[in-house]
Amino acid sequence: MFRNHPTARYILTRGGWYFLTFLVAVTINFFLPRLGPSNPVDIILAKAGGVSDNATRQKEESYLKEFGLAEVDKSGNVLRDAKDAPVRTSAWKQFGNYIFMSLKGDLGTSFMSYPKKVTEIIKTAVPWTIALQLPAILLAWIVGNVLGALAAYRRGIFDKVFFPLALGANSIPFFAFGMLLVYLLGILWPIFPAVGGYDGGLNPSFSLIFFGSVMYHYILPFMSLFIIFTGGQAIGMRSMCIYELGTDYVKYAKWLGISESKVLFYMFRNAMLPQLTGLALSLGVMIGGALITEMIFSYPGIGMAVLSAIQNNDYPLIQGCTLLITVSVLIANFTVDILIGFLDPRVKAGRGVK
Amino acid sequence: MLFRNVFKITVLCVLCIVGLGCNGKKQQAQNGATDFPREKTIYLGGDQWGEPNTFNPLCDWPAWPVHGKTDLLYEPLMVFNSLTGDMEPLLAHSLEKTPDVISVILNSRAKWSDGVPLTAEDVVFSYEIGKNYKNAPMNYAAVVDFVSDVTVEKVPDPLTGGKTQAEKIHFVVNKKARNNPLIVLDQLQDVRILPKHSIEPMLQKLNNDFTAFQKEKLDKDPVVSGPYNLDSYSSEKIVLKRRDDYWGNVALRGNRKPAPEYFIHPIYKSNDHFSVALQQGNLDVSMTYIPRIWMKAKDNVGTWYKRAPYFVPGCMPLMLINFTRYPLSDKNFRLAMASAINYTEIKDLAISGYTPEIKPGLIMPYGIEKKFFSDEDAQKYGAHFDTVAAKRLLREAGFKSIFDKDGNLVQMTDAKGKKVPTLLITSPAGWSDWEAMVKIAVKDMRAVGIDIREGFVDASLYWQALPFGKFDLLMYKPLPEATPSKPWSQLDHIMSSRNWKPEGERMNENQGRYNNPKGKNYNRAVDSLLLAIPHIMDDAELIKAYRALNVIFMQDQPALPLAYLPEQFYEFSTKHWTNWATEDNPYAPPQPPFYAAGIKMLWELKRAK
Repeated sequence: MFRNHPTARYILTRGGWYFLTFLVAVTINFFLPRLGPSNPVDIILAKAGGVSDNATRQKEESYLKEFGLAEVDKSGNVLRDAKDAPVRTSAWKQFGNYIFMSLKGDLGTSFMSYPKKVTEIIKTAVPWTIALQLPAILLAWIVGNVLGALAAYRRGIFDKVFFPLALGANSIPFFAFGMLLVYLLGILWPIFPAVGGYDGGLNPSFSLIFFGSVMYHYILPFMSLFIIFTGGQAIGMRSMCIYELGTDYVKYAKWLGISESKVLFYMFRNAMLPQLTGLALSLGVMIGGALITEMIFSYPGIGMAVLSAIQNNDYPLIQGCTLLITVSVLIANFTVDILIGFLDPRVKAGRGVK
Repeated sequence: MLFRNVFKITVLCVLCIVGLGCNGKKQQAQNGATDFPREKTIYLGGDQWGEPNTFNPLCDWPAWPVHGKTDLLYEPLMVFNSLTGDMEPLLAHSLEKTPDVISVILNSRAKWSDGVPLTAEDVVFSYEIGKNYKNAPMNYAAVVDFVSDVTVEKVPDPLTGGKTQAEKIHFVVNKKARNNPLIVLDQLQDVRILPKHSIEPMLQKLNNDFTAFQKEKLDKDPVVSGPYNLDSYSSEKIVLKRRDDYWGNVALRGNRKPAPEYFIHPIYKSNDHFSVALQQGNLDVSMTYIPRIWMKAKDNVGTWYKRAPYFVPGCMPLMLINFTRYPLSDKNFRLAMASAINYTEIKDLAISGYTPEIKPGLIMPYGIEKKFFSDEDAQKYGAHFDTVAAKRLLREAGFKSIFDKDGNLVQMTDAKGKKVPTLLITSPAGWSDWEAMVKIAVKDMRAVGIDIREGFVDASLYWQALPFGKFDLLMYKPLPEATPSKPWSQLDHIMSSRNWKPEGERMNENQGRYNNPKGKNYNRAVDSLLLAIPHIMDDAELIKAYRALNVIFMQDQPALPLAYLPEQFYEFSTKHWTNWATEDNPYAPPQPPFYAAGIKMLWELKRAK
């Protein structure tokens, strides 16, 4: 059908594969937390505490029913087996319910933050995560690649100073670097705030003061990500470029006397392809990787919600967050796949574009 | 060219971010503008983790300040002072207690925030929620088991010298169910009185569907009786604003207002931030565990005592022992464990010395429990740290331990020559003070030849192991809150076989499954003492009964107490607010200024100069 439209065919087949991956990922994400021996309602009951056995039993039934984890009879009472334990709804039946509700846009109610909706939790937390991570990753990617290419091309003193610095930045785990920043610039010389996403005495609003406060609190977490990412990208790009510099086309271009920046651009384009895949991956894990930054800076975001959801077996919240992570990984990869399709001549040739 | 421009733009972006940030700082410093002026605001930390879910007091675990013993929005009838052991007046006063009826007189000046008087009708409504609706939260649901009837009587108001009438409320002890007046006293503090005229119509609108009502968040201008009301909240903080027409300002606090106009609880994501914020003066009071607190004294951080142990002991972290598993069912084995542990090391290394010296038994030799504690019994029957005694006990019971040439334990065999399985101490991974206690206990017990290891598990597995008894030993902090029923409730929680069930079935107390009523070693005295104590009104009799029970605890060792910790960590900063209650100025108990009887601190705090 798309014989005459290779580009459309390429996008569609890739899209098809991604959709399949999506389905498999959602299924695994659903069943994995349910495989463990622990049970969310027991954790809830422990949290609710209490001295009355009747009340505990009532509460157990009510939550099992509310969360759709137990079978109920026609009059709405929880069924119990011979040992007086509630009859659990099978995981497949729960899966059916989950798919049905998700298609309606309802990700369910969080167990731990009951009665808060999962969508509500995600909606307030994700913008912070994206606002912190996306600029840091993108800017670091660009700066790192350009500096790496320059270091490879110029060599000399620039490279001698820059390369060890980048290597150093890259080899510090970013949580350690974050803690170092907090200690040095937040506590020892308190130039920047050590804690939070904005001043504790402010409420979020569309005012200059609030915006200023957000920017002030943004610097340390941003820097902790930006510097480490830049180092990593620069090292990768530098070695890619050194490889490209030895290739025939660069030598030829130099002999032809083509301007330096033009040669650099050619080389940059080719060396960038693996870096682009790297970018897709880091954009994808953005949401999952947010946790450590959040914990170090007490920065608002989704990471902490993911952690406590997993610790407490909060199925709906785990599902909601993993769905988000799955979608963001897949979209980032899909975009890069398509981009590479246009940028990489080998991929172009592979699908018969002249 | 394009390539250069992209790079330039990127670098510009980074510079912009830094520039804007620094500018934001300047702007704020110049205007000094915040929504909540620092000199009118008190910042509290450590009672709310994770984003606020709901402010509905009839939910199971609403957010601060609706959960627990917080008196800021909804108030109880009376509050318990953990320092003096007295019930102090709040909505009610003039407490009278007999084994059959507990009575209080309602303060006739009490009013709701919408101006409606708070009357006995609200009290009866709140006490009967558990009876009238299914699935009420535990503190409301449990009332039924302890109070059979709530009756109201008009009496001359003692506060006005009898010139006006007040409502006297009688809580009749439920003789047919648990028959326990001590818990009825606890409930005076546990049951928050709710506005009938506001909540009942909401319930009726939902056809009395309680589960549907629990989904209401009650976060928009709720009707409350307390000194503050909800101003705003987000996932980063909860803000309360002072109610200047609070009834208690005139009726209880000498016509004064609480000093802070705003009460803010920032929500941080790790324990360290509370410590940093307190040190920087961004937090005024914190309830978190902060190691080496004496290092922070130079940053204006204070605690109840200026010197060790810094905090007032109020609860007992301990290890539950599973009596249904061998060799833990062997008394000598348990006593050997208790003698093997170096409690001083636990105190100094695991919890920064925040505990006075521990004595044997389940009754604390300090504070309000002191009068029930007998040093003589502890010397005579209690297990102290003594490795020689521990080894002797094991040897006498026939246990043999094999060590390798470096002195490491290889294995342990029992009297029949069979290998004793390695025991595990279940404890939640990442709870650092508990982890440290467990590690020290394991090291000490292995040194005398007991084959035991750390069993750090995910918190979710821990909470599952506890009620079903799926553990060998388990770290636990029973009933940490100060209540009028202590130390009875603590002893009951560890030793009662009222609901004894085999491993695998849920038990809400005595999860170690001590004293099986159907077992051949059943000690009837334990349960009969636990049943009798709540009814004993004579102090001498009471002391006798407690001593008897504590001796049984020491002889049977149903659990291994490791240290004493405070009910609440109470740490404050004097950078913005002063006149905190301390050892030298004990006008309020060592509790944060919103919690139980600690609330009166709010009227005494002074702005720092």
